[in-house]
Amino acid sequence: MMRRRVFHWVCFTSFLLACVGVVAPGFAQQGHPLTGTWNGDWGTSPTQRTQMTIVMTWDGKETKGTINPGPDSAPVSVFLDVINWTVRIETDMKDSAGKPVHVLAEGKMDDIGNYHRTISGTWKQGTTNGTFKLTRD
Amino acid sequence: MSLAMKYLKLEIASVSAVIALSAVAALAQRAPSANYENDKKVKLAGVVTRIDWVNPSAFFSMNVRDATGTVAPWAVEIGNPLDPQKDGWKWTTLHIGDMVTVEGIPARGPRRQALATSVVLARTGAKLFVASNKPRAKAASQPVPRWPDGHPRLGPAPGKKGYWGAPSSTVLVENTGVAIPMNRDGLLANITDADKVAPFQPWAKAVYEYRQRTLFKDDPYNRCIPPGGARHFQSPYGFQFIEQPDVGRILLLLGGGDRNWRIIYTDGRPVGHKDELVLTYYGTSVGKWEGNTLVVDTVGFNEKFWFTNGGLPHTEALHLTERFNRSDLNTLRYQVTVDDPQTYTRPWTGGWTIQWVPDEEIQEYFCEENAESTFVR
Repeated sequence: MMRRRVFHWVCFTSFLLACVGVVAPGFAQQGHPLTGTWNGDWGTSPTQRTQMTIVMTWDGKETKGTINPGPDSAPVSVFLDVINWTVRIETDMKDSAGKPVHVLAEGKMDDIGNYHRTISGTWKQGTTNGTFKLTRD
Repeated sequence: MSLAMKYLKLEIASVSAVIALSAVAALAQRAPSANYENDKKVKLAGVVTRIDWVNPSAFFSMNVRDATGTVAPWAVEIGNPLDPQKDGWKWTTLHIGDMVTVEGIPARGPRRQALATSVVLARTGAKLFVASNKPRAKAASQPVPRWPDGHPRLGPAPGKKGYWGAPSSTVLVENTGVAIPMNRDGLLANITDADKVAPFQPWAKAVYEYRQRTLFKDDPYNRCIPPGGARHFQSPYGFQFIEQPDVGRILLLLGGGDRNWRIIYTDGRPVGHKDELVLTYYGTSVGKWEGNTLVVDTVGFNEKFWFTNGGLPHTEALHLTERFNRSDLNTLRYQVTVDDPQTYTRPWTGGWTIQWVPDEEIQEYFCEENAESTFVR
C-alpha cells in the first residue's frame, strides 16, 4: 500500500515537474525571494531521495506554503531570516500508519538574485533526519 | 619618443573617488555599474582592428601596446549608436587601421574591455562624447500648448515635433529632502543609507541591499527585460506621448527598452483589480485630468522586472500613481507614488523633471540580449 502510494506521488510530482519545466522561464520573478514554485528532493542519504514540490506565497505579513500540491498536499509554515538568508520550513503530516508527525527543515538560501535560487539544508522527523535541496522554478 | 609611440603607451590609473561622468550617463541603457568599475579609469592608445556599430551598444577593438612592448587587444564600448551621432560620428567615421586614444572605465574582472568616456580619432582630431558632456540646450520659453478643451498637450504643438528626454534624476528615492549620495545607476555611495531610500519592509531592504552589494548583476534590464514602472522615464532615450482624446487613450512610445509602448486609458474606465488582469511589465493604466495634471493609476504589474534603477523590489501588489504636469513648454514634472504594502511599510512618493527635446524625433533604440556577445572578451 505504501509503495503504491509512493509510486502515485512520484508520478504526480514528475508530471508536475514536466509541466513546470515547459513554462519555467515565464515564471521568473523578482519579488519576494520565497514566492514561487520550488522543486527538489529530500532523503536520508545521497541515494535515498524523494522528489518534492513546495509552492510559497508572500502576503505582506507571512509566507504561506503548500507541499506537494494536489491530493497529497499539506500546508507548511515558512520563516525567512533575511539577515542570514536562512529558511525554516515546518509541516505536520501523517506517516504510513496515519500517525501525526512533525517535520522541521532548516536550510540556507543561496544566490538569491537568481531566478533559480536554491535552498538547501537538513530536516528531521522525530529521530530520523537527512538533507534536502529545493530550486525555484 | 615618437608621437605614435607616445600614443601607444598604456596607462591604467585607479582613483578612489567615484567618478561622475556625464558621458557614461548617456551611454547604453544598461547599468554601467553592473559591468564596469566606476571607481577606476583607463587610458588607451592604439590601432582600431574591428568595428561593430550595432544595437544596443557599439564596440570597436583596438590593439594596445604596453610599456614592455607587448600588444594586447582591447574591446571598447561606445554606447548605443544614437549617442555617437550627437557628435557627428557615423558608422563610416571610424576605419580599421585608425589610431585612436580612449579614456574610459575598465570592465570588472580580467577582461580587457572599457566603457569609453572619451575617444579621439588621431587622423581627423574628431572627438566623441563632446556633445553628450554639454548640457542640453533648453528650448526657448513658450506657453504650454493646449488642446481645444484647455488641457495641456503632452506632446508637441500642431506642426511641431519633439519628445521628452534628459531626466533630471535617473534614480527614485522617497522625497524627504535628504540627500542620498549615489551614482546614476542608483548605486549607493554608502550602503547604510538604504533606510533613507524608501520605507522598506525587512525582506525588501535585505533584497535591495543584496542587489546593491552585488552591483546589480541580476538586473533583468541587463537581459533586455522591459523597464516597466517608473524606470522607462529614467532612460536617456526619452519617450513620446501620442494623445488620442477622440478614442480616450494616450499612447506612450518609449525610447529605451525594446521599442516598448504603453497605453493610458482616459475613457473613464475603472483601474480594475490585479486579480482580474493579465500581469504585465507596464501594468494597466487609467488616467484622468486634475486641472493641468494628468493623474495615472497603474496596477497589474508582474514581478519580472525592476521598476526603477537602483534595485528597489516590488511585488504584484504594486500600485503606482503617476502625476504628469507640464509646467512650461520645456518642463514635465513627474511624480510617482509607490503603494506596495507587500514590500513597503507605507506609500511613498518621489519624482523628477524631464526636459523637452524640441525639433527632434525619438530615435530607435533596441536592446538585444547577447548582441555584443561576440565582442566581449
